Amino acid sequence: MKLRAVLQYTSILAPAALTLGLLSSPAQAADMKSYDSSKQSFWQHPPPDWFLGDETADMKGLAPPSGPATPTPLAELQDNLKKVKLPAGFKIEVYASGLPEARQMAWGDNGTLFVGSYNATNVYAVTDVDGKRSVKTILKGLNMPTGLAVRDGALYVIAIDKLLRYDNVEANLDHMPAPTVAYDDMPPYVAHGWKYIVTDKTGSMYLPFGPPFNVGIPPTSVSQVRRVDPKTGLAEIMALGVRNSVGGDIDPRSGDYWFTENARDWMSDDIPSDKLNHITKIGQHFGYPYCHQGDMPDPKFARGHTCDEFTPPVVKLGAHVAPLGMKFYTGSQFPAEYQNNIFIAEHGSWNRHKYQGARIDRVVVDADGKNAHQEVFAQGWLTGDQDYAGRPTDILQAKDGSLLVADDWAGAIYRISYAK
Amino acid sequence: MRKIWALNTAALLTVGFCLMSAPALAADIAAGQARAEACQACHGAQGISENPEIPSLAGQQDKFLQWQLVFFRSGRRANEIMGPMAADLTDEDVRNLGAYFASLPAGPPPASEVDPALLQAGEVLAEQHRCAACHTDTFGGKQAAPAIAHQHRDYLVKALADYRSGARPSTGVAAMTEAASGLSDSDIAALAQFLAAYR
Repeated sequence: MKLRAVLQYTSILAPAALTLGLLSSPAQAADMKSYDSSKQSFWQHPPPDWFLGDETADMKGLAPPSGPATPTPLAELQDNLKKVKLPAGFKIEVYASGLPEARQMAWGDNGTLFVGSYNATNVYAVTDVDGKRSVKTILKGLNMPTGLAVRDGALYVIAIDKLLRYDNVEANLDHMPAPTVAYDDMPPYVAHGWKYIVTDKTGSMYLPFGPPFNVGIPPTSVSQVRRVDPKTGLAEIMALGVRNSVGGDIDPRSGDYWFTENARDWMSDDIPSDKLNHITKIGQHFGYPYCHQGDMPDPKFARGHTCDEFTPPVVKLGAHVAPLGMKFYTGSQFPAEYQNNIFIAEHGSWNRHKYQGARIDRVVVDADGKNAHQEVFAQGWLTGDQDYAGRPTDILQAKDGSLLVADDWAGAIYRISYAK
Repeated sequence: MRKIWALNTAALLTVGFCLMSAPALAADIAAGQARAEACQACHGAQGISENPEIPSLAGQQDKFLQWQLVFFRSGRRANEIMGPMAADLTDEDVRNLGAYFASLPAGPPPASEVDPALLQAGEVLAEQHRCAACHTDTFGGKQAAPAIAHQHRDYLVKALADYRSGARPSTGVAAMTEAASGLSDSDIAALAQFLAAYR
């Protein structure tokens, strides 16, 4: 309909206008955005707005919001936190500010807090000397260094297709050593190529590999979770059929790997649901792109598969809540019923008319995945139908049993603590 | 789409109200004005530029202004004048400057000759490329998407060409890099004419 309107309009214009290339691509005017992501050329040179493919009429025009240009000032952060609701006995405060686009956090052995970032290309170190906390940018110019970990005194940072190791890091915060590449058998796709690192007790690292588009048959090197030994560079494929996962943790009860997963976009405001998954067997397939949320065949890419062929999620977290970093709680500060509960940082929506998420979710679940129950633990960062005061990206437990929360919208770290 | 814009407007009003109810937290417009003295020579005493190659800043979207200063400061938007100008700005300066220029009344369409055929072609192109989806129906902008009506034609031509070539970064998941990637030089001339003269 709209196309016809444009053409009619064109026909009444002066002929001069017609020579301006107006008719070179008339169909683009009214069509939804859609990309043929099935070809290698798409993965290697994705269009700059690759997020926006596969529009529907109902979802037309939705796009990721741009965050603040500068990290939110302390006074404003403190004011924002007054609006955050927590269960009785819990409180939230600003732990550190001035960390643009803060993502995964990890502790150094001597108490330095390391924080990755998204487009900001930085890695930060938060140090605490005699109660005085300061933030330092220790690395710059990395390719989406969202994920990091500390092991044997070395900082590991993952930047798309390189796992970098910085030895003896805490002694070198002011003059970081040149990194050693610990593992690089990874594809260079930036789209959904940013990662998260979970180290198990042997020192091996779980790394997620997202597909370089919204939905399609992915390159064989991605849509999976690998377990990589950074000492030898040996890698195993632990899970397949995984879309964009940027968070996970080892269950202290079983040693199993659990992970969050962001479901495909552009179906509707309310489907499909994002997921919390549990790997119980090496090589399980979690459904993408054939089946979403464990029970919803993809309208285009199911290709004859049925959902019972795949491992369903333990918990459907909701549509467009965007679960990122997560942790099992093992501290002693929170009440006993929180022991081994999962806390999930929900980044919140962009592909939804009324945003949801931007909160901390609490999941109570048995080690075998049974009796799962979820509830909102902390919320209040949504400031309108399509705006945020903050967007949680990761959770980390502190030595004293309090929880730290990273926020890439406000560029801040918060601390949630409990007192009777 | 109308509905979405209505929702966004409501969201903006809510934010505005919160800022008004807590003035201590708002950016400091007076401090922004003081810091903006250095800007006047090129961008005009009231943020309305006389030079067709330099954008007016009066009434521009706060968030857009802040992002541009951050891009100039980091060098991601390379410009031999604005790079050094922005190099020493603190985050606080950036917020204050954004608030100051956003608070100034926007100017009328710049006085220049209008080519009616070019203007009409630009109107069709603006529809085709869905400029209003981010820049709103009146092209006054929203959040990080700038006001694009009533800028100088020459400046709009440069801006679109810079997005097309990748010389200038785009917020909103590279929305402008993509939007400009398929424009011909004559498309750009037409869009610039339409937006400069928009009423």
